[in-house]
Amino acid sequence: MRIHETSEGNVSRLALEGRFDFHSHRDFRVAYDAILARPTIHELEVDFGAVDYLDSSALGMLLRLREKADASGKKVVLANLTGAVKQVLEIANFGKLFNIRA
Amino acid sequence: MKKSLRLLLVDDTESNLQQMGAVALRLGHQVIVARDGYEALEKYQAERPELIFMDIMMPRMDGIEAVRRIRALPGDTWVPIVYYSALDNVRDIVRGLEAGGDDYLVKPANLRVIQAKINSYARLIALQDQLHASKVELQAWREEAEEQNRLGHFVISRLVDAEGLRDPMLRWKNIPAQTFSGDLVCATRGPGDVLFLMLADAAGHGLHAALTALPMTQVFYGMAAKGFPIDTIAKELNRKLKELLPIDHFVATILAAVDIRNQTIEIWNGGNPEALFVAAKGDIDARWPSQHMPLGILSPADFSGATETFNYHRDGELVLCSDGVVEAEDATGQRLDQDKIEALLCASPAGRRCAALERGVLDHLGDRRNHDDISWMVVDVATAAGPARRLPKPGINAGPVSEWRMELAWGPSELRHLDVAPAVLGFMGQVEALRPHRGPLFLIVSELFNNALDHGLLGLDSRIKRQEGGFERYLEERSLRLARLTDGMIEMRFHLRLPRGQPVLDIEVADSGPGFDYAFYTSRPVDLDDLGSPHGRGINLVRSLCAEVAYGGHGNRVQARYALQAAAELKAPLP
Repeated sequence: MRIHETSEGNVSRLALEGRFDFHSHRDFRVAYDAILARPTIHELEVDFGAVDYLDSSALGMLLRLREKADASGKKVVLANLTGAVKQVLEIANFGKLFNIRA
Repeated sequence: MKKSLRLLLVDDTESNLQQMGAVALRLGHQVIVARDGYEALEKYQAERPELIFMDIMMPRMDGIEAVRRIRALPGDTWVPIVYYSALDNVRDIVRGLEAGGDDYLVKPANLRVIQAKINSYARLIALQDQLHASKVELQAWREEAEEQNRLGHFVISRLVDAEGLRDPMLRWKNIPAQTFSGDLVCATRGPGDVLFLMLADAAGHGLHAALTALPMTQVFYGMAAKGFPIDTIAKELNRKLKELLPIDHFVATILAAVDIRNQTIEIWNGGNPEALFVAAKGDIDARWPSQHMPLGILSPADFSGATETFNYHRDGELVLCSDGVVEAEDATGQRLDQDKIEALLCASPAGRRCAALERGVLDHLGDRRNHDDISWMVVDVATAAGPARRLPKPGINAGPVSEWRMELAWGPSELRHLDVAPAVLGFMGQVEALRPHRGPLFLIVSELFNNALDHGLLGLDSRIKRQEGGFERYLEERSLRLARLTDGMIEMRFHLRLPRGQPVLDIEVADSGPGFDYAFYTSRPVDLDDLGSPHGRGINLVRSLCAEVAYGGHGNRVQARYALQAAAELKAPLP
């Protein structure tokens, strides 16, 4: 999986590309840790537009991100959910925990 | 730090040995000498040198033959051999290297070149030692891991096996992606003969996923055996997993209770693909999509155990599966999605759907190995209760018993969330003489209690159930009225007596409601097979299990007498 990071004002976006699975563990954590450490950032948007596969360990990583973001008072938004990715998140009812942006 | 090497110098000329030996000693190495091929072979075996300089023309055995024999010896480390010979024609050089030598120096060589050669091989040997050490370490790790895997496999397979998985109504399959499956299938009969099922899929796969799901087995089997409803089991499983697991681990789970007597299927689905009820004719009569998050994520305060119940009217199969089925990929990466699975199930004849699913999944995978654990459960659900499902009445008295009484009463707040029958049976299970009677007692207590609550306090009319979609409406209305209940009381009295030395358990249930016309029910004959109407079925069952059942008050009080020994002696009238 490749991760592209952009920031605008107090919002940072991580655009993910490829397969989001247990191999992405370290890269994803390094990426969000850097953003959460920045005091000016209030919101972290994870863009799934170019993700074609998501497994259960990826869901685990999102839970971990959510916990860390909560601890530092930042908001997490999951954006551009389509196809199989949307289906996996819906079956797990992650909409009950995360802010979802179409 | 440079390592000191053991060098074997082979030459039949003393001055050569001395010259070479001086160089080696100056570099800090140890020197072993041999004066012909035979001696070289002996010293090689006795002293395990790490580097060899070998002359070719020597008495008794020449250097090339010595090298050939050395190379023929067994050994797992590489010992470099450098020829040092006056022979300088290409044929000799090639012959020497082909016999197993590694390098060739022509005599006489400059001493600085010999020194550089020794240093160069010293570096190679150090590298080889390092590789060898890593290899040994890796081998040890591997053996250790394999040993742990074997033990883990042994223990886990015993922990997840259960008699209930061999239930004649059930067929199932679990295809792990690795040695261990993170998918868990569990099945058992509750005390009221309800079939409890659990299909759990822990995040990830392999040993860590298997470990994640493991604590669930004890909770599930323990609570199902006591007859707890699945919403309570779901809550307890969630609480336990939340307590045990790190934040990024969770378990997608389906819990199901199949009640043949009442023709209902109740399901809690958190994070697994849709559960399906496929009628014998091939239509899908009911679906249970995931309504909850997987277990182990939400705190107990945020968790909901809300279930969905379906009242089936025709034979069919209940199908539960993990997402490994839906996500199974073929050679082109195409997933076996939900639609294809449903088409597969509907097209196959009743009773053969488990096999059809297996064939479908394996055909789809082709030569590919599944990258996620795959599991499913298929339950044959029949509308007519076969003779095998009648409750056997235990005939033996398990132990000595003396007279005792117990009286319990609950108000609205407790009635809303207490699981009364499992709680009461929990106590009865402590009385050894009652243990073999848990099944029938569970049914009697839950039927009498439910009647007191549903009809006595909540004023529900079970005739609603007979209408189209009535069962679901009945449940909806029930939970509505229960939530709004502000007063009322249910009392239960248990009295174990020994009239003429024969133990009987008198059970009395009373509610504070307006009562009902009990003459209508009690005038009908006991007939377990009268399953055409859900109305009155419960009380018929109680009457078939008890020696005597009598209503009192204005129909808000019922007394049942259960005999711990076979029926005949129970002629004494109820008090």
